[in-house]
Amino acid sequence: MKRTFTALAFSALLTSTAMAQDVTLTLWTESATGAEATFAGEFSEMDNGITIEVREIRFDDIVTETLRAFATRTNPDIISIDNPDHAAFAARGAFLDLTDLAAGSDQIDMDNYFPGPRSSFTWDGGVYGIPRASNTIALYYNKDLFEAAGLDPDSPPTTWDELYEAASALTDPDNDVYGIAFSAKASEEGTFQFLPWLQMTGGSFEQVNGDGAADALAFWKTLLDEGLTSPDTLTRGQWDSTGTFNGGNAAMVISGPWELNRMASDAQFEWGVTLLPVREEGGPRASALGDFNLAIFDNTEHPEEAFSFLEYFDSQMDRLWPEFTRMPPRPDVSLAPTGDARIDEAAGVFTEQLQYAANRGPHPEWPRISRAIQDAIQSSLTGQKEPQEALDDAQAVIDGILN
Amino acid sequence: MSLFKSFRDGIGFDTLLIGFALLYLLAFAGLPLIYNVIISFQQVDVFSLGTLFHPAAGWDNYLSIFRDPLANMVFWNTIVFTVGSVAFQFTIGFAFALFFHQKFPGATWFRGLFLAAWVMPGLVVGVLWNWLLSGDFGVINHVLLTTGLITEPIFWRSDIDVALYSVILANIWYGMPFNMILLSVGLAAIPDDLYEAAELDGATAWQKFWTITLPMMRATIGAVLALGTIFTLQQFDLFAAITSGGPAGSSTVAQYWSWQLSFREFDFGRGAVISVMMIIVVLAVSLVYVRSTRAETRL
Repeated sequence: MKRTFTALAFSALLTSTAMAQDVTLTLWTESATGAEATFAGEFSEMDNGITIEVREIRFDDIVTETLRAFATRTNPDIISIDNPDHAAFAARGAFLDLTDLAAGSDQIDMDNYFPGPRSSFTWDGGVYGIPRASNTIALYYNKDLFEAAGLDPDSPPTTWDELYEAASALTDPDNDVYGIAFSAKASEEGTFQFLPWLQMTGGSFEQVNGDGAADALAFWKTLLDEGLTSPDTLTRGQWDSTGTFNGGNAAMVISGPWELNRMASDAQFEWGVTLLPVREEGGPRASALGDFNLAIFDNTEHPEEAFSFLEYFDSQMDRLWPEFTRMPPRPDVSLAPTGDARIDEAAGVFTEQLQYAANRGPHPEWPRISRAIQDAIQSSLTGQKEPQEALDDAQAVIDGILN
Repeated sequence: MSLFKSFRDGIGFDTLLIGFALLYLLAFAGLPLIYNVIISFQQVDVFSLGTLFHPAAGWDNYLSIFRDPLANMVFWNTIVFTVGSVAFQFTIGFAFALFFHQKFPGATWFRGLFLAAWVMPGLVVGVLWNWLLSGDFGVINHVLLTTGLITEPIFWRSDIDVALYSVILANIWYGMPFNMILLSVGLAAIPDDLYEAAELDGATAWQKFWTITLPMMRATIGAVLALGTIFTLQQFDLFAAITSGGPAGSSTVAQYWSWQLSFREFDFGRGAVISVMMIIVVLAVSLVYVRSTRAETRL
């Protein structure tokens, strides 16, 4: 009895010594089942003495929570952060400059990443992260409802006019079907969804009130005013909007590739994906560059260990598409077939759409720029301001921030 | 020796007790309050939040809040939200308290069950109401449509004319039980013989309520209204869960705006301006509360 006790105590002592040598890192992310969390789990299982604890934080709260933590120096070692928010942290020295670590790495080559994501984590000559993935938005449509409405399911709308006509034809209040769903929510999601429309008129986040910009906003307003989209578009995020599409209550939805796995299992109908319709035939295409970056905090005690996780993540990028329907941010990683023909077809559409994707920022004051755009969207869609007036007001705020 | 004795039993002991209470208040309530006032005069963003000294901003934060196009709307929204919530929480709560004061079988049990709403976390209540109030698939719209009370669905969360009232509705439901319980306690404290005497004199139910119940409840009512106002001014979760202050800011109240400025736009100086103004209001309400509890002890 006594011997067992001694042995137990001894082994406990051993483990505690071993643990002292082990390194535990923390990773905060929007999803505990996403790529970075999954890879972190695998990385912890390896015999490398590094354990990564993953904490999931709701998308809407991740920046808030992290800032609060950073202010009190209780921030994690690694964070997965939405790319427009990256610059605010990088510009203030919160993130570790990875230039030197990357120079000595056999795995990570910063020149390997697409220029769009790369510029989102580059600040003043330093590189402050690696991209987790890339995404952008396109138009999903319900082929069954297209057929029922007498539309050709093989030629989805390609221009705004066609989109409007399709949405009108598909809207069926008696059966609780809206023509189209999207998100005009007063959050980053609303900005993300609106910028492509603005860019198709020649605008950008720096120039939101130019010729035609008001048309983009007016187009959204028409969809709302004529009941072609749910009034809850104003308060609903992309995930919930797409939920109504999957449930058959919206015939089209504008969203990104992150929806594909859920749609493949939830949607009880034939669906397809097509490029965002352009303003006029032959007009410029546009979309917004989305997805997160992985960054290491400057105050971490274990920069090398944290970086080795980033290396592991980078080495697994070929799995991003087949397992998570996230698009790899490297041109040398192709989108492997998933075995689901619909998803594989979508891969081609999103890959093309991604070519037209523009960055949001990078600018350390992005939240305020984005807020100005959200205010313009919301005040005009609720009829408080004319689209042009709303955008002029937004431009005044943005000018104050940029200059 | 006498000094030691006074610490055991006497003025020294009293001072000691007050001293502890004061010290606690100063450390955990006073300092944060003062710090809040200080940063309302400073430029503070998140990256300088952890440092002790920030660049001074003078009255800039205050001026920019007052000049903000949202300010007027937020000001009125806050008044409507507070008055609307407190008035209905109180009247409905009072009605239920009187109802359960009639001694029917199971009255205390049912009254206890009402508290279930109040013990739920605000965010849970918010998510619940978010579903109930959903425009296309919400339970409330479904009931109203099938009973023929409305012919078109009401977009509770997305209609700028309705959104604020949706949150008020949820908040009334959430806060009413608390009002009811406090008022029930007040009712129970009124001696029965007062009513018996009134009955002998032939007083009607209304006369009894007006001349006995209400005057005897004055202290309780003062406390309930003051606490209700303070809780309503603290209400944040429901806004976050139901409308996020939208659409177009139409359901933004002061406390939510303060949070938005501080934790969405990271402008802690301007966020602090709003909390400073709210503290002034809460202090005024607290005075009412303190006065009403003082009246209570005198009773």
